Amino acid sequence: MNAWDELVERCAMRRNEKIGPLSADAYRELLIAVRADPRAFVDDPAEQALLEVARALDAYRASLRDDDLLDDDAYQRERGKRLAALAASCAQAASIDGGCLDARLIEALALDLDPDPLLERLLDLEREAADRELPTGDAWADVLSRPRLRLRAAIARACLDGAHARMARACAGSVIDAAPNDEPGARHTLALACARLEDEAGLNELDARFSHREDAWSHLARVILLFKLDRMNAARRALRGYDELCEGGAYALLRPTLVEPYLPDRPDAPVRSFDECTFAVREAEPIIADTPDLIPWCQDQEWLVASAARFAQGRGLDW
Amino acid sequence: MAHNPQREDYQRLSLRFARELDAGDPGAATRAYAGFARRFAQDRDGLPQTDADRAFHLVVLATEAIDYQLPFASDEQAQDLIRRGRDLLGEALSLDPSCHDARRMLSSSETPSLEARYRFLADGADQVRASCERARAEQAASFDGERRALAADIAMRPYWRWMASLAEEALICGHNHAAAEAAEALLSSDPRDTSDVRFTLAYALAKLEDEPGLAALERRYALISPLRGPDDAWLLLAKVALAHRRLDLGAARRGLARLLDAYPSGALALIRQAELPDGEFARLRVSAGSEDELILAISEGIVLLQEGNDRAGRGALGSWVAGEVSRISPDAAREAARVSRQEGVQRP
Repeated sequence: MNAWDELVERCAMRRNEKIGPLSADAYRELLIAVRADPRAFVDDPAEQALLEVARALDAYRASLRDDDLLDDDAYQRERGKRLAALAASCAQAASIDGGCLDARLIEALALDLDPDPLLERLLDLEREAADRELPTGDAWADVLSRPRLRLRAAIARACLDGAHARMARACAGSVIDAAPNDEPGARHTLALACARLEDEAGLNELDARFSHREDAWSHLARVILLFKLDRMNAARRALRGYDELCEGGAYALLRPTLVEPYLPDRPDAPVRSFDECTFAVREAEPIIADTPDLIPWCQDQEWLVASAARFAQGRGLDW
Repeated sequence: MAHNPQREDYQRLSLRFARELDAGDPGAATRAYAGFARRFAQDRDGLPQTDADRAFHLVVLATEAIDYQLPFASDEQAQDLIRRGRDLLGEALSLDPSCHDARRMLSSSETPSLEARYRFLADGADQVRASCERARAEQAASFDGERRALAADIAMRPYWRWMASLAEEALICGHNHAAAEAAEALLSSDPRDTSDVRFTLAYALAKLEDEPGLAALERRYALISPLRGPDDAWLLLAKVALAHRRLDLGAARRGLARLLDAYPSGALALIRQAELPDGEFARLRVSAGSEDELILAISEGIVLLQEGNDRAGRGALGSWVAGEVSRISPDAAREAARVSRQEGVQRP
């Protein structure tokens, strides 16, 4: 989430409502002015709260930088501290405007709960927010609707993490229906839910809907689906595809690492990059654990292990 | 219903005995038959039997060792029992190379992984079916009436057990459609469900979150299992799981209450959620509605309970069930905590 960009857009919108409607050219000028100093244009509790969120996210991201130097215990302490600080800042932002869904979403996520308690909180939030209808057409185009879409995408991920695969599928599907370009990235959750439910038709339909734009999730989902459906030759081909097209995919799968909670959404990563692979593997983790011999089968593919080792060597990672 | 190896052993030899007697004088046959039970108990080896019958008897002995004695054995005895079981099964196979029960039971220790065991069972299914159907056709030629039906049944049972193992193994491996398919194939071969594979089917449908499928299975109980309604722990737990998966916690709580009604002493088992080894011959024989039955259902239900990414590692449903039952039954919760502590002390 780029909170600053959304803040700029919202401030400009609000100013336009007050003094406008401005011509397209004048509105562009206004945007430039707001971008130069968003704080000066914040004159409503809703934007005030979002400003606090933007600052809190900056502070949180800045605090992530020095982790590599810490040992495990110190790391855990630091991690707990910075998540608690973020939760506190977001609670503070929500006290300025209780309707600031992003503040409350990030607060809930930063509490680092188990999937079901998290899901419960997120569903409560959604019930509260439900009185405002999502616009028809592309809801993402409406900057005020984006928090709702982010919340739904987070609900879908929590569903998948807590073994509510059908709910995850329905919820992620509703995000894509509301925002056809899927800026929140709910299709990835949908792909994994289809894999878990052994829903090949659903996964095919999703691939077609996004014109077979392949990414780490779609590849990994295909591997898991075919393995679960016991079509081992096809599963092996899919695994090769994942390995060849996703940078460091083999390493990410065979050496999963800790991934911080998404606050509030999945960080941007280049498509089929190593970072994307680590996200995909983390999100698939409960499904992988539910298919106990999937990873041992992957480890039996010598080319996959060799590929992971090469990647580790190239990056100076442990192997 | 469940498979009963001793009774099957008896049935096999009594059929063989009857066939030999039928050839002779009917009066003498009746007298001889009256003595069969005694001879079975005291002089089993003296009764007429084939190598296949002898092999099956060894399977029965192996089952006693592996499925019924091993769980209660000390570590020392355990090694002996495992060796004894394996030897008996190996001997059974050398007597009768098409002793599918022995081959299937041996495969669980001889395959290197769950997936390999699943593969072995899946790949062998058609061949076992063909072999059992050939045996059934042979039996059909030598008997009439009720005996023919029993002989046909006995001929098919190794296939039924094979498919029940396949369904269970598929479920454990996360091949949930394959588990449901194996269960359905078994139900169409044995509509009376000697193997109680509908229990495994209920879990596979719950894993697929197939609500209509599970509802349809519940309706099919009247046909599949006319003597026992849909009140077994498997179906009840599958329904709890589905309600929990759609986050209908009211329905999940009602389902849990039904489970505790059906198994009044089951609170401790529901909190502890212990995982036990599956019966190798077939699902262990326990009384319907007993706490032991609930324990088996929970153990097989680990696939439902332990799914999800919670920190305690009990799974989303597992944590919820344990929490709810602890709330309803604080005594059981205390007892569960006491038992866990004790195990913690005993563990090296």
